[in-house]
Amino acid sequence: MLSRVAESLYWIGRYVERAEDTSRLLDVHVHTLIEDPWVDEHIASRDVLSVMGVPLPDGRLDARRTTDRLAFDREDTSSIVGALSAARENARGVREALSSELWEALNATYHALPAQQAAAERHGPGGFFRYVRERAAFIGGLLDGTMPRDDGWRFLVLGRSLERVDMTARLLWARGQQRGASSGWIGLLKSCSAHEAYLRTYRTAVEPEKVVEFLVLDRLFPRSVYAALAQAETCLMELDPTAGRVGVDDMARRLLGRARTDLEFRVSSDLLRELPFLLDMLQTTCAEVGSAVAGRYFHHTAALAWTAER
Amino acid sequence: MRLQVRHSTGYSYDTEVLSSYNEARLVPQTGLTQLTLSSAVTTNPDALQQRYWDYWGTQVTVFDVHVPHTELQVTCTSVVDTAPAPAPGDPTWELLAASSDEHIELLRPSAKTIPNDDLKALASDAQGSPRDVVLALSGMVKDRVEYVPGSTGVQTSAVDAWQLGSGVCQDIAHVTLSLLREAGVPARYVSGYLHTAQEPVVGETVSGESHAWVEAWLGGWWGFDPTNGIPAGERHVVVARGRDYNDLPPLKGVYAGGGMQYLGVTVEVTRLA
Amino acid sequence: MGDLFDGYALGAAWDEVFGRDGQPHPECGPLHAALQEMSAEELTSRSTALTRAFRDQGVTFSLSGEERTFPLDLVPRVVTHEQWVDVEKGVQQRVKALEAFLADVYGEQQAVKEGIVPRRVVVSSSAHCTPAHGVEPPNGVRVHVSGVDLIRDEEGRFRVLEDNLRTPSGISYVVENRRAMARVFPELFATHRVRPVADYPSRLLNALRAAAPHGITDPTVVVLTPGVFNSAYFEHSLLARLMGVELVEGRDLLCRDGVIWMRTTAGEQRVDVVYRRIDDDFLDPLHFRPDSMVGCPGILNAARAGNVTIANAVGNGVADDKLIYTYVPDLIRYYLGEEPVLLNVETHRLDDLDQRAWVLDHLDELVLKPVDGSGGKGLVIGPQASDEDLHELSLAILRDPRAWIAQRVVQISTSPTSVGDRLAPRHVDLRPFAVNDGEHIWVVPGGLTRVALPEGSLVVNSSQGGGSKDTWVLAGEEGPAEGDPEEPVLRPAAPGEHKLDRGPWQDQQQQQQQELSC
Repeated sequence: MLSRVAESLYWIGRYVERAEDTSRLLDVHVHTLIEDPWVDEHIASRDVLSVMGVPLPDGRLDARRTTDRLAFDREDTSSIVGALSAARENARGVREALSSELWEALNATYHALPAQQAAAERHGPGGFFRYVRERAAFIGGLLDGTMPRDDGWRFLVLGRSLERVDMTARLLWARGQQRGASSGWIGLLKSCSAHEAYLRTYRTAVEPEKVVEFLVLDRLFPRSVYAALAQAETCLMELDPTAGRVGVDDMARRLLGRARTDLEFRVSSDLLRELPFLLDMLQTTCAEVGSAVAGRYFHHTAALAWTAER
Repeated sequence: MRLQVRHSTGYSYDTEVLSSYNEARLVPQTGLTQLTLSSAVTTNPDALQQRYWDYWGTQVTVFDVHVPHTELQVTCTSVVDTAPAPAPGDPTWELLAASSDEHIELLRPSAKTIPNDDLKALASDAQGSPRDVVLALSGMVKDRVEYVPGSTGVQTSAVDAWQLGSGVCQDIAHVTLSLLREAGVPARYVSGYLHTAQEPVVGETVSGESHAWVEAWLGGWWGFDPTNGIPAGERHVVVARGRDYNDLPPLKGVYAGGGMQYLGVTVEVTRLA
Repeated sequence: MGDLFDGYALGAAWDEVFGRDGQPHPECGPLHAALQEMSAEELTSRSTALTRAFRDQGVTFSLSGEERTFPLDLVPRVVTHEQWVDVEKGVQQRVKALEAFLADVYGEQQAVKEGIVPRRVVVSSSAHCTPAHGVEPPNGVRVHVSGVDLIRDEEGRFRVLEDNLRTPSGISYVVENRRAMARVFPELFATHRVRPVADYPSRLLNALRAAAPHGITDPTVVVLTPGVFNSAYFEHSLLARLMGVELVEGRDLLCRDGVIWMRTTAGEQRVDVVYRRIDDDFLDPLHFRPDSMVGCPGILNAARAGNVTIANAVGNGVADDKLIYTYVPDLIRYYLGEEPVLLNVETHRLDDLDQRAWVLDHLDELVLKPVDGSGGKGLVIGPQASDEDLHELSLAILRDPRAWIAQRVVQISTSPTSVGDRLAPRHVDLRPFAVNDGEHIWVVPGGLTRVALPEGSLVVNSSQGGGSKDTWVLAGEEGPAEGDPEEPVLRPAAPGEHKLDRGPWQDQQQQQQQELSC
């Protein structure tokens, strides 16, 4: 597979996941503001922006400004529209490597964004968030149903998994900042589509320790940090199945494996206390894995400028 | 006359260059009046070479460099047997007209030889047979364009040099070509080397430069060195022919990286026998 | 009920559907009848759905940075089997002669020596490419893909307007238009036996594989594109996808020691055949424009060394130069010893003094074309030009007569085309595509019918307000023509015994339903 194509596929995976997770986060944020009269809108909005790594604008923040920034900023790939546009732009450059269905889904999603955004202006952003989640699910379904399990698929899923680790870490971070109200923890679970799964698993009320345990360590829930790390690791292993005799020589895999075992063998009751440290470790890992993968697979794909010798 | 020529040229780059693609036109030709006995191109950094003969009959050495480098040097060492200059032919204008389609590329102005009104007038003033016209026009140029090294560059055209009244061998050749073609005589640009001693001594190495002169078609090709005002003979070594300099740069290429400087040329010519 | 054909006015041009008597040509009867039953609303709604589908699929071209769909007119253009036989023969003959000419130009130049084409015409072509001399295509093919632009004159005869031997584009619209029409008008396909066009990618792949360097038995073929911003990017991507080969950009390729490699996640992989959709000028910075960032330096010398095949070959443009065009009938006679099957349009050569003088006197009656423009670029239609334009034109001609040809204004044929809520006559041309694998020249049955959407416009081009139509070549009685191996028909076993599996709940529901209905 061409390095350039692999790189684009990886980023399609990342951007679609980012759009989806951001819409989950924003949906919960907006709902919290509506449902909880004691929440300070400015502080809550500030937390959301900072967890997404977005520089804070001046002045008082509200749900509207937050949504404009994180949902509709066309120029920035940290917003939903920006991420989906970037995913589509990448897809356009590698469409021969995607199934027609998958390409059409990405392209049609992109083309529908202006209309969806206009609808959000009139009826509130809920419908927009739902649209993004549904399209992401649709795209994910086509990814599973129409793409052969070759290296192209692996790069897509690798991107998606890494982004998921990163985004879940950010969501946890945002929650960890606030103490108290259990509604916040429910919101966190909901933003990961994990509320029902959590209830079925623990059959108890929502407790912060258990929520963290579930979202970080659960082996079966696909959006947990552990599951995403393991998925990413599998992709890397399949990309380079020639394991040597000693250890693991692929840097990205080593980083992922270390992070996964670090989580796996922790005492779960300590998790909540150690959360800031863990999340920092996870985000560093994601960044390092990203550059290790680029260094190994995406070598030198910028166009060269040639100069005539005179 | 047996001559050995050693030609070195190259570039230095401001920043490290990771790759470059190059073509060198340095290997002397073999033809009716010249036999190339041996010729070897070496490059530093070392590179695999491919060779081909281009449209104009010049042997091209192709090489690309893929190790980081800040300087590229190319050297060609050749041993050539040359023959004395033949007498110019004396065809009629009708014969020239009959072959005009065959020589069309060498009859029309090329990029560097487009004449101005001045040159056109001079060309139309020349009277007599094609041979008379060739001798008159090509003999005249060195009196009007003085040989002054460094007065022009590779981009200078015939008209530039004419208006400046000075130039190097390349410019004098371009002016001559412009006049001959305007007068209706097929003419081509020749690049190569000249042993600068009138009577070359065996075993003595002289330093020279790349040289350029012209060939006119007078029923057959006849070489004339307008810079020195002499027919091209035993002391001339032909490397390449074409419409003008653009068809046969000694070294050309592309590279990815920062600025560059031309290292210039050193040429050493030795009479061997 | 309004008839879609109300107010359909026949002009001087031949019409693709109606004869001079106003009755449809026999082959267009069923189409005409079907359209008559259709309301304007129906046509419009089908057309809107289609544009949306094209947009979602990304069937687009770029024009000044904007992505546009190439409008597909829903009224197909019908060509009978008999007419097609001539077109096919004519195109094959022409491509064969032009291949021979290119081999000659970049080889012995026999036709020049024997005075069929003057050397001055060949070497003065801006597309005569001196670095292409000495590059020998492994199987002798230089024109792997060609698009010969045809028009129908006032009598309904097909004539050649120009040859495109460099990187002709448009085949993706042929393929996509057919897919779209089959969805929009399934009922019309039931009443017409239309020859399929979907074979194209596999034919092209065969031809590219056949062109591989000597000794390569399982060649790696790639499609080389300038990138997503190129106007024909969709086509490059479609062809790569339908051939199952990599779509590469210049930066994915690397020439080392005369061999071409592509950069993959598993290291460098050797490339044997490059179907390039980049113009000569941008293909190799070493030989052509050094500032090109989309090419691959060294590729031309790699082809010269016989290590890679460039398709189409470098330098093909000399044979589609429009002044050379005027010599093509002579070239057909010279190389093939045959009379041309397809006529040229009457053309004046302006390097001839007498013809030039006559043309300069009659500029307002003629079409003037630059010899190296394609797709209507720089073309001047005398009768529609202002005096000022004509004056400019005459100066341009006098400055460089070699750069122009003059042609009679042909009223090229019209075809019913959706305009508002009616059908109106609009001028159309036809670009059939030919693929040469070295053994056989295969012509796609159909090709791209382009339509000039502005009323009265004779310029059919996507960048100048053009659209397209699906071209329906009707099948003959005797089945596939020579060179079309018949596909084996796979009959599925009768599904009779195998029931579809059901989940337990569905069984229950069915039982419930049965109980209810009892």
